[in-house]
Order: sequence, then C-alpha cells, then structure tokens
Amino acid sequence: MATEIIMPKVDMVMETGTLMEWKKNEGDTVTKGEPLFVIMTDKAAIEAEAPESGILAGITAKPDDVIPVTTVIGYILAPGESLPEKAAAPAAAVAPAEAKPETPAAAAAPKAATAAPAGDASQVRATPLARSLAREMNVDLTQVAGRGPRGRVHKADVLEFAASHKAAPAMASVSAPATNVAVPLPDARIRQRISLKGPRSIIAQRLSYSWSSVPHIYETLSVDMSEVVRLRERVSPAIANATGQKVSYTAILAHAVARILSNHPGLNSSFNGDEIIQWEDVHLGLATSLEDYLIVPVIREAQNKNLQSVVVEMARLLEAARAKRLQPNEMSGSTFTITNLGMFGIEQFTAIINPPESAILAVGKMMDTPVVVDGQVVVRPMMTLTLAVDHRVSDGAAAAKFLVDLKNALENPYLLL
Amino acid sequence: MSTEENKREITYLEAVREAMSQEMRRDPEVFLIGEDVGVYGGAFGVSKGMLEEFGEWRVIDTPISEAAIAGATTGSAMMGMRPIMELMFMDFVTIAMDQLVNQAAKMRFMFGGKVSLPFVVRAPAGSGTGAAAQHCGSQEAWFISTPGIKVVAPSTAYDAKGLLVSSIRDNNPVMFMEHKLLYRTKDIVPEELYEIPLGKAKVTREGKDLTIIAYSIMAVRALEAAEQLAQEGIDVEVVDLRTLKPLDVDTIVESVSKTGRALVVHEAPITGGFGGEIVARIAASEAFDRLDAPIMRLAGKDTPIPYNRILERATVPQVEDIVAKARELATEGK
Repeated sequence: MATEIIMPKVDMVMETGTLMEWKKNEGDTVTKGEPLFVIMTDKAAIEAEAPESGILAGITAKPDDVIPVTTVIGYILAPGESLPEKAAAPAAAVAPAEAKPETPAAAAAPKAATAAPAGDASQVRATPLARSLAREMNVDLTQVAGRGPRGRVHKADVLEFAASHKAAPAMASVSAPATNVAVPLPDARIRQRISLKGPRSIIAQRLSYSWSSVPHIYETLSVDMSEVVRLRERVSPAIANATGQKVSYTAILAHAVARILSNHPGLNSSFNGDEIIQWEDVHLGLATSLEDYLIVPVIREAQNKNLQSVVVEMARLLEAARAKRLQPNEMSGSTFTITNLGMFGIEQFTAIINPPESAILAVGKMMDTPVVVDGQVVVRPMMTLTLAVDHRVSDGAAAAKFLVDLKNALENPYLLL
Repeated sequence: MSTEENKREITYLEAVREAMSQEMRRDPEVFLIGEDVGVYGGAFGVSKGMLEEFGEWRVIDTPISEAAIAGATTGSAMMGMRPIMELMFMDFVTIAMDQLVNQAAKMRFMFGGKVSLPFVVRAPAGSGTGAAAQHCGSQEAWFISTPGIKVVAPSTAYDAKGLLVSSIRDNNPVMFMEHKLLYRTKDIVPEELYEIPLGKAKVTREGKDLTIIAYSIMAVRALEAAEQLAQEGIDVEVVDLRTLKPLDVDTIVESVSKTGRALVVHEAPITGGFGGEIVARIAASEAFDRLDAPIMRLAGKDTPIPYNRILERATVPQVEDIVAKARELATEGK
C-alpha cells in the first residue's frame, strides 16, 4: 500500500510547517530513515526522514509552501504500485508562504478547493479514547501533536496538552506582543524583503518582550583564566581519548556555571505571574549562531553532569544543530543561558535575557592582558563575564555573589571537583 | 471442609476424571462413551480406573467410528440420558460432524423445545505434543458458529472440574475442549462437587495498561507473559474467557474500558478465528470510546500444525510472542 508522507507535527503547538526543500526528487528510490525533506517550524529547520522504503511519488508540496500538520504531501510507493486515486489532488498549502502578486489567481484557487480542513478534528488521527477525552476536557484535537504511528493522537498526548495549557495563562503574558509603533521607513532602494517567519519571528517576539518588560541588571567582571588553561591542557588528552571530543573553554565554563548555579537558585528561576519558580534542575542553554538565526541547544540536568559528560553532550547537540536534526525538546526548556561571542573577538557585551529564564551570562574573548598581581605587572589570560539578571527575581547583590563564586571557581577550578 | 482439603492439588486430567466420576455416582443417567475409554483408560489416561468402578455399561468402549459415537450420544441424550462422549483427538470431530451439527445442534429448535439434548463432547485439542497436523487441531470456531452448541475451554484444573460439572448438568450439547498440554498442570481443587456457571469469564490478573483476552492454554501463557511484563513496569490484565459460547461480553468490555487496550490471543488459526468475533464485540461496545490503541490479535498461523517441533512451536503463540506483542501494544502512543 502507498505510504503517506505527511507534514510532521514535531511540536505541541505546531499548526503548520514551511517546506524548505525536498532532499529527493519525484521518482527517486528512498530508504526508510534517510533524510527526505526539510521543514521550518517556528523554532528551527528540521529534517524529516522517509517513513518507508520505496519510490517517492505524488509530491504535492513545493518549497516555501506553508502546510497544515499531518497533511499528505507525497507518497512512497512499492515497485509497480501506482498512486492512490485521491493523491491526484494538488498541494494543500493553507496560505502561500509569501504572497506572489504575479500569479494571485493560480495561488489561491486550487488551494481553496483541496485545503485540508485545518481545525477539523475529524481529520485528525486519534484514538477513540483521545477523542472522548478531548471532548470532555474541551481540547481542540487539531492543536495536539500525536506521538503514535503516523501522528496518531493518544490519551497521553491529550493529557499532556491539557496540562501544558493549564499553565498557559502565566505564559500568555510572556508572549504578549509589544505595541506596534508606526515609524516612517527611509526613502531608499530596497535590496530584499525578508518575511518574518520561523525562528526569526520567535526571536523578535520573545526578545522584544524581554527587552521591554524585564528590568535587566548588568554586572561585569574579569576572570584570570590561567588555571582553566592549565586544567584544559591536563584533561584534554584523557577526555579526547575516552570520547574523541576536544574540551572547549565553553564546556569548562558550562560545567562551572551548572555547578555554581545550584547554590544560587535565584538565578536559576522563572518569573511566573504572581510567583517565582526556582528550578531544581539546571537546563543549561548554549546560544548558538546558525547561518542566519540563533538557536539554544539545551544540556538537560547539567548540574548532575561531570566535565566529560558535558563535553560529550555539547558535541552531540552542536552536531545535531548543524545537521538540523535537533528535536524541539533539545532546543527549548532551558533555565539559564550562556552566550559566547569570544570567537569573534568580542571582548565584552551585554545579552538580553531569554524568557522565561531570569539570567544570562555573556562571555567575551580570552585575551592576554597585563594585570597587576602583588604589585607586579604580569600578563594573564583574562576573560570578561557579563551577567544579566531579571531584577524582578534577583537583586544586584545576589547577582554579584554568583559572579564572584563563578570567578573563584574558574580561577581555582579544582574546587569544582 | 478442613484446611487440608482446601489445599489439595491435583492435575487437570484428574480434575476431569473426578468431575465425571462424581457426576456418575450422583446421577445414574450419566455415562462415558468413546474409543479406548474403558480398558485402556483413555488415550491420555483421563478415564483410568473408571471402567473398574462403573462397569462396561457406563464406560463404553466403541469401534473406531466417531459417527457412531456421536450418533449414540445424540440418540441417548434425546431419550433422556446424559452422555459424555470422548473424542480421542478433537480433529476427529470431522467424522462426527453430521450428528453434532446437523442433528444434535438443531434438534431442540426443530422440535419446538419438546426435546433437549444434555450431552458433553470432551475434545482433547491443541498442539505442542509433536502429534502432527491430524492430532493437534483447535476447531472451536466451527462450533461457536453453530447455533445450539455451547463451547467451553478451561485453562486450569479448578475450572476444568467446575465447568465440566456444569456442562454435564446443562440441557444442551456442550463442546468441552481440553488442551493436551494442560493435562499435567496442577491446581488446588476442592474434593466436593461444585459448579462454575457457563458463560462467566474470570479476570485472572488485574492490571491497568492492557487487557489480554485468552482461553485454554493461551490464558496460562498470557499470565506468564504478564508476569514478565510486570518486571518492565507494564501492568497487564488477563481475562480468561473459560466459556467461549455463550460469551461473557460484559467482563471483556469492563476490562477493556478500564485499560483502553486489548489483545486477543488464541491458538487456532487467526483467519476466521474466534478472535475476530471478540474484536468486533469490543469495537461495537461502549469500550470503543475508551480505546487508546487498535484492538490486536495474536493467534495461530494459517497453516496445519507442522510435525517438525520447531515449526510446530513457531505456528502458535508462545509466551515470548505474547510478551513482544503486548509490549508493543501497551507502549504505543505512551
């Protein structure tokens, strides 16, 4: 039987996905599990794998189409098999990714005819129990991501969705858009218009909220990295032997932050309406620049990981990020973020807190710098750390104590043992 | 009853013999008829010693003719006796089919209820003994689809005794399936006579993640599979049907409504097997709205039972097959 290829629902709140590219062409032989197409969600580009082995056929979606989740966008056929009859229908993009003024009629007409009824729960694959629960709990099944075969929604999906949306009111204020202010555009020739979508749109939304609503305090200090340099030289060969991975300064810094944060719960917390939630786990986000956007892979429960585990996990996450294979839960849910621009030569900078976190650490370049030690001018590898904290949650003194603890740990990293 | 008696353990085979003997002592109309049931004590030794106790008028050895055994059984039942006929192997029922299906099953209806046929067909069924295709059948589906015949398939010695007593006392033809691999299994069985009502399933293990519906030896294997799955944190409920017709739909529906997932297991071939009927009953019931996964079946392959022991084993569900299937079904979408 022809296997349907659907727009996957990779995230709880995902309603549509933008098709970026097909990795295979119509008529190509594909193997189950190999990369088939790339989609863009609100968070990131994600590669989708072939659900079955066979011949790719009946492709109905093209790059830049915005397609409702679970819509069939193609088929995988067994040799000699032909397309199911209804597959002849054209793509079911809800809306053109960008208005194409040159062919407005062509873009609109066929879509209206075949558009999968977005919002029609009867078209969602769901178990009878999931359906009856959704009715009882007033959950819209079209909003629920299914974890079963072909995206089938099970009881657990509905319960999880309902639970996550109970917490929604507090989060709702987080995503409240800033007021639009009309500012005249300059009178200049346009090079390119880039529609705001995917991660860029999320970045714009979240950070505008943070910048305009969260009162930031900034504190900076310099750290003498001599001992970290020494430590890295000592442990690198052993860890490289064991894991095949190089030990980066960021890994050591991440390890130190995770350990020190456990003693500073105020900085590992979230402002949530009328309460502050202090997190037991340190889910450490590492801001990572990727071509044209920013993602934050997350080391979960970093407080429980030793340096070697941090190195391994970072390598895994960064590789997945570059290959666009990060799962949504690997790039969300962080409780604290580290952002490092040292590799670009930036000596010091301030970062904007990534809500709902309440602090972010901006790391500058490590530079040999003349400093005064015991009345003598000596050269030391110095690095600046700039911490931003949410003043609603913590005060300047609390932030200072954390920074000083972190500085002491980095200047005497053996204390981390 | 003393505690000592309470704990008496006997085999399934002994429980069947005890039920027959006690009923024959109680009711002079009950008798046993079949091939080698007398002097030889039955092909599996079930009726050993009964000839000595009851004599050759009540423990009747017959020629090798299942048609004759079934005909004598049907006729004597119509005349008011309560025969128990033994088929040496359930497969041989094909020879007795006209008497059982076309005569006995229809008689009461065709005579407007003026005649009843209180008899039991005891049928050693099932594979696992290396006895090849003609001695390993599980033909329950034929009789389940024959109105007028009840079908019983106990999995324990305790159930075998109580259900056989009820079957002998029932006023309709009853096909009583005894799995050959269960004959040597032991259970605590009270010495006195007791009845287990026909048409009542039993929840033999309570669980919350998945219901396995099974009968005969598969009810035993399902329990073993459930214990293994419990080690993995999968909590399986097992429903032992005990009687296949009339079917206890209420117990099945109640259990599946609770767990939201159902796996039906039987030894007979899957296509046209009783499992399909159970699945349909669940799908049409109020349990439908509580289903959190497709209803699944695990049953024998669509082939006669092979002689080769490895192939024989592979043809019908084993404990590891039930474990694998139940695990897959219990974890889907969780």
